[in-house]
Amino acid sequence: MGPNSAIKRTTKTEFDANSSTLEGEDPSVGNANFWDEFFLLKPKLNNIELEMSKLSVEQLMALQPRLNLLLCRCHDTMSDDKSIRAVNAAQTFCGILKGIYAKTPLSEQVLHFVFGLETSDAKFQSMIEQINIHLNGEFPQTLKSVCLKLLLVMATGTDNVSSNKLLEYLMVHSIHETLINILSNVSLRKLFGHEAVMLLTLLVNYRKFESINPYMVKLSILDDELALHGFGQVVGVSLAEFNNRFAAEIQEAHSRGIISALTSAVGSFFSPEEVDSKSASIRANIGMLLALYEAAHLNRNFVATITQAQADLVNKKSAEDSMTEETKDTEDQIMSDLSSGSSNLLVTFLEYCSILMQETKSEASCNTVKLCFIILSCICEDQYANSLMHDANFVFSVTLHRMPMRHRKVPPQKLSTSPRPLACAFLDLMVEFLVSHMMKKLPLELHHLCLGIIHRLLAYQKRSRVRLSFPWSDLWSSLIALLKYLLANEANMAKRLNIFSVCLQVINVFNLFITYGDTFLSDPASYDCLYYEIIRMHDVFEGLYSMALRYSSIENNEFKDYALKLTHALVNIRAIINHFSPKIEQYMAANGVSPLTEEQVLEVVRLNYQSLTLKLQESLDQYERYSEKPHQSFFTQMVSFLYWKLQMFFPPF
Amino acid sequence: MASRASNGVTAPIMSGYVSEKGGIRSLSKHTILEEPANTQSGQGDAQQEVPPQKKESLLLRLFECKLFNMSLAIHYLFKSKEPGVLMYIVNKMFDFDSSDVDFYMPQIINMYVQIPEMAEALHPYLVHRSRSSVEFSLKTAWFLDAYSPGSMSPGSKRKTHATKLRNLILTDQLRPKVQCHFKQLRSHAIKSEDSTKKKHQRSRSDIVHSNMMVVPESATETWPVKENGTRNLGDLSSGRAFDNGCTCFTSNQGIYNNLKGYETSCTCGAPRLSPELEFVKCLIAIGKRLSAMKSKEAKTERLVGELSNLNLNLPARVWVPLNFSQHHVVRVPPQAGVVLNSKDKAPYLIYVEALEVENIHTSPLYPKLSCTLRHVRSEENLGDSRSVPESMPPSYNSFTTVGNLDIENADCWSQDDDEISLAYTRRAPITERDTLSQLSIDSVTSTESPVYIAAADIRKRLFDNTHIQTSSFRRDPEDPSAAALKEPWEEKVARVRESSPYGHLSNWHLLALIVKCGDDLRQELMAQQVLTNLQHIWETEHVPLFVRPYQIIVLSKDSGFIEPILHTVSLHQVKKHSQTTLLEYFYSEFGPPASEEFLAAQKNFVQSCAAYCLICYLIQVKDRHNGNILLDNQGHLIHIDFGFILSASPKNLGFESSPFKLTQEFVEVMGGLGSDMFEYFKILMLQGLVAARKHSDSILSLVEIMRCGSQLPCFKSGAATIQAMRNRFHMSLTEEQLQLLIDNMVESSFHSLSTRLYDGFQYLTNGIL
Repeated sequence: MGPNSAIKRTTKTEFDANSSTLEGEDPSVGNANFWDEFFLLKPKLNNIELEMSKLSVEQLMALQPRLNLLLCRCHDTMSDDKSIRAVNAAQTFCGILKGIYAKTPLSEQVLHFVFGLETSDAKFQSMIEQINIHLNGEFPQTLKSVCLKLLLVMATGTDNVSSNKLLEYLMVHSIHETLINILSNVSLRKLFGHEAVMLLTLLVNYRKFESINPYMVKLSILDDELALHGFGQVVGVSLAEFNNRFAAEIQEAHSRGIISALTSAVGSFFSPEEVDSKSASIRANIGMLLALYEAAHLNRNFVATITQAQADLVNKKSAEDSMTEETKDTEDQIMSDLSSGSSNLLVTFLEYCSILMQETKSEASCNTVKLCFIILSCICEDQYANSLMHDANFVFSVTLHRMPMRHRKVPPQKLSTSPRPLACAFLDLMVEFLVSHMMKKLPLELHHLCLGIIHRLLAYQKRSRVRLSFPWSDLWSSLIALLKYLLANEANMAKRLNIFSVCLQVINVFNLFITYGDTFLSDPASYDCLYYEIIRMHDVFEGLYSMALRYSSIENNEFKDYALKLTHALVNIRAIINHFSPKIEQYMAANGVSPLTEEQVLEVVRLNYQSLTLKLQESLDQYERYSEKPHQSFFTQMVSFLYWKLQMFFPPF
Repeated sequence: MASRASNGVTAPIMSGYVSEKGGIRSLSKHTILEEPANTQSGQGDAQQEVPPQKKESLLLRLFECKLFNMSLAIHYLFKSKEPGVLMYIVNKMFDFDSSDVDFYMPQIINMYVQIPEMAEALHPYLVHRSRSSVEFSLKTAWFLDAYSPGSMSPGSKRKTHATKLRNLILTDQLRPKVQCHFKQLRSHAIKSEDSTKKKHQRSRSDIVHSNMMVVPESATETWPVKENGTRNLGDLSSGRAFDNGCTCFTSNQGIYNNLKGYETSCTCGAPRLSPELEFVKCLIAIGKRLSAMKSKEAKTERLVGELSNLNLNLPARVWVPLNFSQHHVVRVPPQAGVVLNSKDKAPYLIYVEALEVENIHTSPLYPKLSCTLRHVRSEENLGDSRSVPESMPPSYNSFTTVGNLDIENADCWSQDDDEISLAYTRRAPITERDTLSQLSIDSVTSTESPVYIAAADIRKRLFDNTHIQTSSFRRDPEDPSAAALKEPWEEKVARVRESSPYGHLSNWHLLALIVKCGDDLRQELMAQQVLTNLQHIWETEHVPLFVRPYQIIVLSKDSGFIEPILHTVSLHQVKKHSQTTLLEYFYSEFGPPASEEFLAAQKNFVQSCAAYCLICYLIQVKDRHNGNILLDNQGHLIHIDFGFILSASPKNLGFESSPFKLTQEFVEVMGGLGSDMFEYFKILMLQGLVAARKHSDSILSLVEIMRCGSQLPCFKSGAATIQAMRNRFHMSLTEEQLQLLIDNMVESSFHSLSTRLYDGFQYLTNGIL
């Protein structure tokens, strides 16, 4: 029992009590080794936080010099070559910083409490440098992990990322390279990839609408294929986990044997009773979705990665195993690789979307779906991604989950087709959205995005003359069904919702087919089929026209302009109906049959193209490129979602 | 170095030679009596006249004469049992051109593995070559694995000499002498024999030495990096799976050398063989994983993914081990990979982008590039959140109010849009492509007068566009290889080049490679040796027969690489896709009956068909269904898949009893029975057989050596296999008799019921037309 251990014990109790460390005399007076020994002890973060939470703001103010001293010591000790001290120091820092943030959301005050205003710049700079060294060098995992936690605590200080003053230091002293390094290194990525992606996402969102954000710039020009691959992999793993969890629940319900159980399983996955787990499961991925969005929106190289990266998405574990047992590489590994199946991030993401889409009742879930659709739009705008998605040699089978609905006779839970180009899966997903979201509380914005995605794909096909083999009639009938639904619910929708702009989008898609069908349809028969569908459903189009005409003549109608445009857009469809209707009647009269079979109508169509003239409509294949600007508040909201999620995620150290 | 080594040992051997006169005499008597016709000129005859007591020097004289080539050396290596003679021949091998020796690698390794005394003699040669060449090391290691009898189970106590050599190579202990020299220097154990080293060698090692002395720190510093590098070896997700951690090229010295145009050689002791070994291992592993997938679609999908993963690790100091010029692999275009037709295995074809380099091991690697189109757009998109001036109405480019603004805006994308779409629209003329779009734009600018179009025109254009006759096969998900292989090579190269970030480099090349796993390629390799041999024979004898041997790398008993034959489709695919007879296909591909193109193609067909008929007869190639017979773009008929030769035939159902496959359709292409070309066909066969007979010994010895100790199914009849093959050369027949023989064989093949039966059988069981 030397004097040293006695000191240890006292400091430990002091530290446990925390307040004594904070309030008493400077404990290092008369004991030169105090801090060295102090940081050999593992901090009890719960106690720190508990103690801090007891303090009032005034008490905290009073403690400020002492906090400064302690945190400065933490800062100094973080560069200690004994990693245990560095770890403990960083952890103490984390705990206290979190405590401070909890007390005062004001950034100025936080700075004041941490190092004091005068020395903040230099201290933070050296601290960030030190963290970079720890993360890049050969240091123990615990140290790296606690450094990342510290960064995350810094980044999640306030619910509005942009008002977090501490991040200004991270803007000036970049950790971008360090994070990228983590993502490109396999073993580091496995350990810290999630944290790195979260941090990058938060940092990119720091005042991105106001100033030049260096992280945004760097992320946008990042061309390190490995880092991008790593980024995609981290996102993919967590999306795939979600997909698997969903599939497992369905499976479980299925094994219970009753068909009705199926519906309840899907219901319960999003059910109100399990509201916590539900929002947790959705929000758990908000961070990943935001990360995916930032990367897909900012970085065009990433779009290539999305489509190409054949991530070992699910078998995270087996990859780790292979790391440890390098020698045992042959058969076992091959088999374990196989079990995971093959996939890429986009395939996983499409499946993920198909699950999320099933629940759009609450605003939060609606927002998540919106984010997904925005990501899909970004991907559809990219030429390179499009060229890959339409490549007939680049095929995947995508599993799309379908919502059980009453009017579907046998609800196929899964729609897993033979491998096709990815554009087909995109279109399938959109069709599925259209048919499953004709609801009273119409998520109009989602419909806009959905139709926008379809339009973008068609515009690409038209420009590049890609003839995708896709059952277009699925798309046509779902679009017509949507129109029909809107018409039927005109009374309670037309006043408050701009259904005319949605209709306009639908009609524009039809116009693309009518006018430019020769450039992207795969055979003449499908062009005939298009006319057949239009003629068959002529009531809907006529109804739509009369509705549009009505609303365009109502003065003071806020949607008047849209209604007017809609009447113009319908010109060719009306021409087609007017042209063929008499021909069909003639045919019926001549042959004495009624009603006609599909074959007979098609024959009439084929024979009577000659005399039909169409008006060339302007810029059908032009679309407004996605811009983040109008969605500013949406993204601020999403990022603060992320903040809450991380808050929930972080308390236990 | 080679000459030094051989000269050094020659003297003792020669003395041993003289002392063992008796052995030599009996040996020489034996061999010289059997001397084949290929030691031409009067020399052979003169030798026979020589009295017996002088014969011992004759063998020596033969060995020293100019005509003594690798083929003879192999022959005598196998025949001789005298250690002295063996040593002497091996020493001669040091003098031969290494590519000549390499051709006989399977024979050399098989003898090494099977015959202990041979191993002793050959060992110095193999070690010497392994030291100097990484490629040779790898090949030797693969062959040793493939030809060793039984399994190389680690449990067995006594390692065979073959296993030992293989381990020696794989553990990279056989490094160039320079390295050893350096080690000696470092351990201060400089031996006197150093002075006997060749001058250039010493000076080189001095350079190395001084380099290391100047920067000793850097060498130690790089250790952790190297550790890091080797740890990732084989881990595809690391991006450095093929990086052996060598730092010589990234070091200051390496960069300096590169700038000055000096050669950098690796001195850091990083494993030399591992990058290529890992690369090959990885390709085989992909094949294994593919074969576990059920459907063809799943395989194709998986392959694309596997290849993209592979791509992450390229460029690397790896190469395709077929005989291409020196290159580094920089990319494997994933979409171009094709899974080939096979029932339960999964052979696949990949295209590999490579950069030609002066020397694989000393040229610097090209840095990784990603798609260059991308950057501009990323930055642009970054701007779009801010760059739109606030004053601009938000709807300024929504689709209904499009003005010129939007079109200008679109222009800044159009460049790469077009670049990409070009790749897709290459074949279709784009002249009328955008008239409509143009009209629509015009109509926007002059909004007053609407433009009208006829629906009938749209449909007509659609009809025209989708009914363009193309010579390419339609893509069939069940048979993706057909379309991929039919695409003209030049077009494919252009297409891949365009989409590749490395395509602009002048030393860029596209290579193709078939990876097979689960198949034993050893027989195949032997067949190709025979083919190559026959090709040489016919060339030297001026017989215009066409053979297309293809390269094969045997990696183990059940895996290997095959060089794909470009510009070819199988007869099965021809029939399936064109739905006509072979003759009709010839007309459609090459031109009408009397056209020059058709006649040329017909001539090619006859010359190749005659060659392969002979080959099929000589080595009894079986399993000749139409999936195994290819047609190239000049009309040559090319046989592939030599899995059933000599005494092996599929399932032994007794089908294919005819000497070779000559169908009604083949004869039709030749012009029918009795036509001039058909007669020419028979003449060619006769000439070919006569020429082959003249050199039959060189062909027979190739095969005979491989028989020794072999478990291959083609040798299951044992020694009778060789005897039967020898008989098929009909040494005793006169030319007239041979003529008759050929006529008979053609007759019986043509009328063979069993050929037709076999085709029917294949159709029923495998769906091959």
